[in-house]
Amino acid sequence: MTVEEQIREIVARITHVDKGIITRESTFKDIKADSLDIVQALVAVEETFEIEIPDEEAQKFKNFGDFVSYVEDRVAQEGKV
Amino acid sequence: MAQNGRVRVAVDAMGGDYAPEEVVKGAVLAAQRDDVEIFLVGSTDILERELAKCKFSANGSSIHIVEASEVIKENESPVDVIRQKSNCSVAVAAKMVKSGEADALVSAGSSAAAAVSAIQFMGMLDGISRPAIVGSLGSFAPGTVMVDLGANADCKPQHFLTFAIVGSVYAKKFLGISNPKIGLLNTGSEETKGSEIGREAYSLLKNSGLNFVGNIEGNDILNGKANVIVCSGFVGNVLLKFYESIAGHAKDWTTNKLKKYPPLNVLVKLLFDGLFPATKISGESEKRGGGILWGVDGVAKIAHGASRAPQIANAIESAKEAVKAEVVESLKSELAKFNQGG
Repeated sequence: MTVEEQIREIVARITHVDKGIITRESTFKDIKADSLDIVQALVAVEETFEIEIPDEEAQKFKNFGDFVSYVEDRVAQEGKV
Repeated sequence: MAQNGRVRVAVDAMGGDYAPEEVVKGAVLAAQRDDVEIFLVGSTDILERELAKCKFSANGSSIHIVEASEVIKENESPVDVIRQKSNCSVAVAAKMVKSGEADALVSAGSSAAAAVSAIQFMGMLDGISRPAIVGSLGSFAPGTVMVDLGANADCKPQHFLTFAIVGSVYAKKFLGISNPKIGLLNTGSEETKGSEIGREAYSLLKNSGLNFVGNIEGNDILNGKANVIVCSGFVGNVLLKFYESIAGHAKDWTTNKLKKYPPLNVLVKLLFDGLFPATKISGESEKRGGGILWGVDGVAKIAHGASRAPQIANAIESAKEAVKAEVVESLKSELAKFNQGG
């Protein structure tokens, strides 16, 4: 499973939405994620990929695609795939 | 637990309307009357000064100070700030539970900050989508609990299912009810009543395998129609505070009405200070010192923001009891059964 697919599954599970509706353009608002959902999603992604996502980086994510790109870069940098 | 068998409680010393002064006094009170080891988490300088005011020293006693340099300011969103300030007192206390340095967390600070800290640093149990606060309704309805009492203002339908599972475990473990009846608080008993979220929650609960008895209206809360009443944290918190206020207001109202008949004041006092069940609700709530945040992987006690020293001491004692009663292990075990369809 790709990094994007894994993150999509995590976000869908936490926000209780069908993963099919989450596109790279989707914002957290689009999928009705509240602040606790976002915290849970960040924590789950950090644990899954064994990385730490600084809050200043997380605040730059405008949509799901930004989130995925950031994690893909970090995972590649740290040689975790 | 500590090697000496004492329960170790990490107290968010900077959280609460009267923190740190009343929190420190409460910790001292708890240490004097109870066999607990307390870690006051916050600014070392401030906490040493407060302990000195209580003529208490952290050296060699059952109270220790753990430095947490950052503070959540009033105008900051607790949800955002926990990730930015992971060295604030409530976050450090939650990390201590996660690392095994403490057995429980107590905080009278922002419930949202405590919930986020617990989610982020202690983690959620499998099968739980949101932590929730559960509370018994006491004497008027001794066989009834409500979930959520304030941890989640906004809820999705799936959160109500989590609340029902958590409430069911609570009712089994603490009220001895083998197959608790679950009710969804709503504006009518029919399946089609209420908001869209409520109707979706109804459908999930109906198909959950839990003993769901349908919607419960406000006038059914106290009559035992359900053992577990599920509602959003917003509704639960408003309802709880209203409920706890009834005895005091009823006493004032009756005293005022009967002031022309002084002999009856003795009866009023007896009725409302001793017999009226709602009086006991407030008393029990104060005795417990707040509610446990259920669903996170550890004991997290959320005390009222306005807690003074006695309530803080009660919250510490109650956290200790929750650790000894292995409430988290009970929930894990029940969740495992539920997840397997049992």
